[in-house]
Amino acid sequence: MRLLLVELSRLRSRRAVVLMLLAAFLLTAFLAGSRIYETRPVSAADRASAQAQADAEAQQPGYQRDVARCEKRPQRYLGRQGVAADCEEMLLPQAEWYLYRTDLSVAAERQNTGLAVAFLAVAVTLVAGATFAGADWSSGSMSNQLLFEPRRSRVWLAKAGAVALAAFLVTAVVLSLFWLTLYLAAASRGIPTGATVQVDLRWTIARTALLAALAALGSYALTMLLRHTVGTLAMVFGYAVVGQAVVAAIPVEGTGRWALGNNVIAWIRDGTRYYDPSLVCRPGSGKCVQYGRLSFEQGAVYLGATVLVVVLLSLLLFRRRDIP
Amino acid sequence: MSTPVIEAVGLRKEFRTRRGRHIVAVHDLDLSVPAGGVHGFLGPNGSGKTTTIRMLLGLARASKGEMRLFGEPVPRRLPAVMNRIGAVVEQPKFTPTFTGRKNLLLLSRSIGASTTSVDAALERVGLSGRDKDRFKGYSLGMKQRLAIAATLVKNPDLLILDEPTNGLDPAGIRDIRTTIRELGESGVTVLLSSHILAEVQQVCESVSIIGNGRLLASGSVRDLVGGSTTSASRVVVDAPDRATEHLRAAGFTVAEDDGALRVEGAPAPEEITRLLAEHDLFVSELSPVRRDLESVFLQLTKSDTLGTTEEPE
Repeated sequence: MRLLLVELSRLRSRRAVVLMLLAAFLLTAFLAGSRIYETRPVSAADRASAQAQADAEAQQPGYQRDVARCEKRPQRYLGRQGVAADCEEMLLPQAEWYLYRTDLSVAAERQNTGLAVAFLAVAVTLVAGATFAGADWSSGSMSNQLLFEPRRSRVWLAKAGAVALAAFLVTAVVLSLFWLTLYLAAASRGIPTGATVQVDLRWTIARTALLAALAALGSYALTMLLRHTVGTLAMVFGYAVVGQAVVAAIPVEGTGRWALGNNVIAWIRDGTRYYDPSLVCRPGSGKCVQYGRLSFEQGAVYLGATVLVVVLLSLLLFRRRDIP
Repeated sequence: MSTPVIEAVGLRKEFRTRRGRHIVAVHDLDLSVPAGGVHGFLGPNGSGKTTTIRMLLGLARASKGEMRLFGEPVPRRLPAVMNRIGAVVEQPKFTPTFTGRKNLLLLSRSIGASTTSVDAALERVGLSGRDKDRFKGYSLGMKQRLAIAATLVKNPDLLILDEPTNGLDPAGIRDIRTTIRELGESGVTVLLSSHILAEVQQVCESVSIIGNGRLLASGSVRDLVGGSTTSASRVVVDAPDRATEHLRAAGFTVAEDDGALRVEGAPAPEEITRLLAEHDLFVSELSPVRRDLESVFLQLTKSDTLGTTEEPE
């Protein structure tokens, strides 16, 4: 416990980590703010502006020509029931066409901005986990720490605990603030958010915070193994991007199941449906659907097992290898 | 006889370079450091001093051999004795963006030491005025002082210092040497690894000399030096060539020594002046050649060119 507190203090004192978390907060606040602004209610001024745009557009010769032709032959333009009186309304630009805004929907945001914020939080905690461990190796202070606490497993676990705990808490706070902001904005506009959506949001926050903790733990463990922040980030990037391309190139059906991105989304969204070009359409099988399904459990097993392998390898080698 | 504070028997460290070369950094080393006082640990660069220290402190694994600290087998029982050991290994290694004080506080909290002990340690090494500065802004000397302060936080019974005066200015070197001497006198056992022979001779009571990863000599400085003087004399004379001729004719061994003559075999220095005066040669300077640790060290390590040895597959 004492070591855990020391490592939490060390983590909190790292300027790079603090700046990254601050950036995550600001970016999340920006995303929430921009969604609230983009979905703001239409004002009278907005309506007047849209009407002016529609009126100006309606004066274009093309529109006027179409209206004139429609009035001569309404049924050709508007179908059998068409009458000349409807031509202007049906063919000329309307004010609504220039009011693109949709209402703020907390439920809909789960699939859009919500997912972006979740990815952002996981990415930031992943980098923070790597840089936290990498700084100890690059400065050489790891050896100094082991001169005070030679039980390497304890040192490793204390640092891992600090990284995972901080990642969980920070992500939980960031996401909670994000969803609370959207929820309150929607409520202030009289847009209800259903109880089911609220429960689902709580679970989404919990799952994402857990994923962030796992990502931070994994990147920390990998950095303790490679002893280099950049090496870790390069490997994670390679695994996520190059690995996904390699997996896609393997001539085996259903490789999308093993793509990192699909598993991450399955974890965050509690299951996902993903496009998988490796799925083969067999003749006579009816309608061909090249989509696969991944449950949260499947994603959790995939990500959990990957991190577990890295963690065990990292801990084992940290106990055995010489410390520079 | 009391248990040695540090004991190593048949200690060996082998490793393979990235190119596959097999290196033996420490070669079946036996080392024993008695309790109390300052013990020098001498050896040329690459002779295995730091590797030995790192193995003792659990930072590197020994390929073979046994080690004990305070009678406890290490690294297995290292946690039991680590709180009694302060160590500086190679360059001071702290988090560069933290202040000196923050670095020490984190280390001290990990062993449950008080903030007072940090303040006292900073005070003792003369860093209390600069403890709020970031470590990366410290001079090499200040970094070295901080590293020594970190060892003092534990109030150790054994202090292992690897080149502790590296980068210090003359006043800093004097202060650190004084601190080391005081600690040795207060009952703390200090293992001082250094290549500055004069430093070891000034500060240490006993010394172990290693070369090529092997123990070459060990004992008290006095015993190793073999008394304060030798039978040789250093002679400065106007006509060294003629003087050499006459001294050799008298049966003495003469060698040129940095603008003077080194004369061995004379029963007493006055024999040299008398003999030369008889030939109208007058001595302007005559002094006994003092044997020092440097001459012992150079003699013992003259075959040690690269330190580590490479063994055939």
